[in-house]
Amino acid sequence: MISLHSQSSMLGRCGRFFATLILSSASLAAHDMWIEPTAFLPDAGKIIGLRLRVGQDLLGDPIPRDPALINQFISVDSSGPKPVVGRDGVDPAGLVRVAAPGLLIIGYRSNPSPIVLPAAKFNQYLKEEGLEAISDLRARQNQTGNDAREVFSRCAKSLVSSGIPTEAEADRALGFPLELVTLKNPYTLRAGEELPVSLTYEARPLPGALVVAMNRMNPAAKLTARTDKNGRVTFRLPESGMWLIKAVHMIPAAAGTNADWASFWASLTFELKSPATGAAAR
Amino acid sequence: MRFPVPSRLHNWSARLVISCLAATVFLPGAMLDAHEIGTTRVSVAFRQSASYEIEIITDAAALVEKLQALSGVPPQSDQAGENASLHSAAVLQMLLKNYDQVFRRRVAAAFDGAAVWPSIDYAVSGTATATSSPVAAIKLTGAVPQGARHFEWTYSWTFATYSLTVATDGDTQTTEWLEGGQRSTPIPLSALRKAPRNRAAIAVQYLALGFTHIIPKGLDHMLFVLGIFLLGRGLRQILGQVSAFTIAHSITLSLSVYGIVSVSPKVVEPLIAVSIAYVAIENIFISELRPWRVALVFAFGLLHGMGFAGVLKELGLPRSEFVTALVTFNLGVEAGQLTVIGAAFLLVGWYCGSRQWYRRLVVVPASVLIACVALYWTVERLSL
Repeated sequence: MISLHSQSSMLGRCGRFFATLILSSASLAAHDMWIEPTAFLPDAGKIIGLRLRVGQDLLGDPIPRDPALINQFISVDSSGPKPVVGRDGVDPAGLVRVAAPGLLIIGYRSNPSPIVLPAAKFNQYLKEEGLEAISDLRARQNQTGNDAREVFSRCAKSLVSSGIPTEAEADRALGFPLELVTLKNPYTLRAGEELPVSLTYEARPLPGALVVAMNRMNPAAKLTARTDKNGRVTFRLPESGMWLIKAVHMIPAAAGTNADWASFWASLTFELKSPATGAAAR
Repeated sequence: MRFPVPSRLHNWSARLVISCLAATVFLPGAMLDAHEIGTTRVSVAFRQSASYEIEIITDAAALVEKLQALSGVPPQSDQAGENASLHSAAVLQMLLKNYDQVFRRRVAAAFDGAAVWPSIDYAVSGTATATSSPVAAIKLTGAVPQGARHFEWTYSWTFATYSLTVATDGDTQTTEWLEGGQRSTPIPLSALRKAPRNRAAIAVQYLALGFTHIIPKGLDHMLFVLGIFLLGRGLRQILGQVSAFTIAHSITLSLSVYGIVSVSPKVVEPLIAVSIAYVAIENIFISELRPWRVALVFAFGLLHGMGFAGVLKELGLPRSEFVTALVTFNLGVEAGQLTVIGAAFLLVGWYCGSRQWYRRLVVVPASVLIACVALYWTVERLSL
């Protein structure tokens, strides 16, 4: 299932950005969270900072390392997973040394945080994030007009590549409750090519979920798709540069959590090569 | 979900878009939600209820990106080199100044519901590396309207939760956690506008602060004074050293507080620990007071004075009674030191000071203990 925006070649980059921001203004109820490495294409041996960002349309604020929030913060390379180190209270929240050439998978999973949203804001957020099933459930339970108590968890990943990428190197599941996994190494792709992505909830494919992809240069020209029965979507990514792919899943909160709903926010960032240069600049 | 993308964008529509953005992009209105805590923090200080100073500390590049977005400037490319401009503190500072009018749109300081128009000064420091980012310090200053009763604050340039700290003239602080775009609870100025204290009240307060900085808070200074006490033979020798120490630290305390002398605590604090260790070790190896000892104690006193000044700066000095506070703080420090010596004299010096075993059983073991503690502090302070 593919849903693509027009590449709108008639628009200048600046004009497109105006357009994208106007669109983004409708999407204000909830904030995305993603990992922004200080370099997506570092040389082996380099240390890179891992900035956690919360915001909208890839305009974000840095989040310092908070040990109370971290459930898992790991990097995975060919030698296996390692904890991401960092200084508490400091941005960037993590530092990682790129030990060897290859694909480095960064994963950050937060502990659940409570939040209370007014009914209107919560309903708007459900609509924006494609969570109609929850809207329907609230309607059936006559809760649409009620404020919502929610606990949200972040499940953010980032892919970093060092050296010459190969198709043999692949993203993989880190065991997060909600998780996006690219089914091809995006560093072997160029702008205009297709990237298949899977979405799992508790290690099982999640069908019918809204997945959104956006590029840093044009963040509101979003690519959107619903996962198929195998929990997969495929995006044709038209632009080079940094991409954010995201999805949100919500379930009724477990008893005893003092919340009505539990949400999970998956994100995945990486950088795509330019088709013109053949290899992304370093 | 599919969003339409306009096929053309004319100049007039671009202007319309910018206007719409100004009204809608960042979160208006109060919210009940709580997001992750970001790196932004805001502090507000009122000076005798006549003027206000608001300082915003925030990530400079993140702020500039949002200002550019709201101004219709396309985001910087991710490609290395092309976004280097947002890594330079000087460039970021210049951009912040250029975007002053845009910045003001999403910041509101209000007294009794009426917004004020502050002077704003932008400064950016630090460099962008794998481990750090340039930080913006934005100062908003102005006069508090006469008769104002409440202050309110709104800052909409962050998506994260941030802290708003309100203080008055170095007194107590209150902190409120706010979301970007959320208006603070009204802060009553009457609570901040305390009746000006008279000179006597300030003198008593700073006398107490000086004393408590020695007893019980200043264990390092106490050990230094005990080191002086242990080598003194008789009150005259002890007071000679204490006087040298007092004169010296009074000099550097005053010079530091007035900003004439400035040495980093990273240098001063380890040296203070070294001075304690030196005095204690010397006590072990010499038994008679030599002339250089007084000179050394004077030199060490200069160091300790800079340490006292650091504390006094943290406490803050009332502008109206600056000299009173400085002098009485110093007197409080002296009273603390004399109390330590007096207590030591009553406990051991008075009864044991003239005994033959006094040096062997009191001076040397106590000096060894003080030296060990001071050497530990030296290592600890060097590693900070």
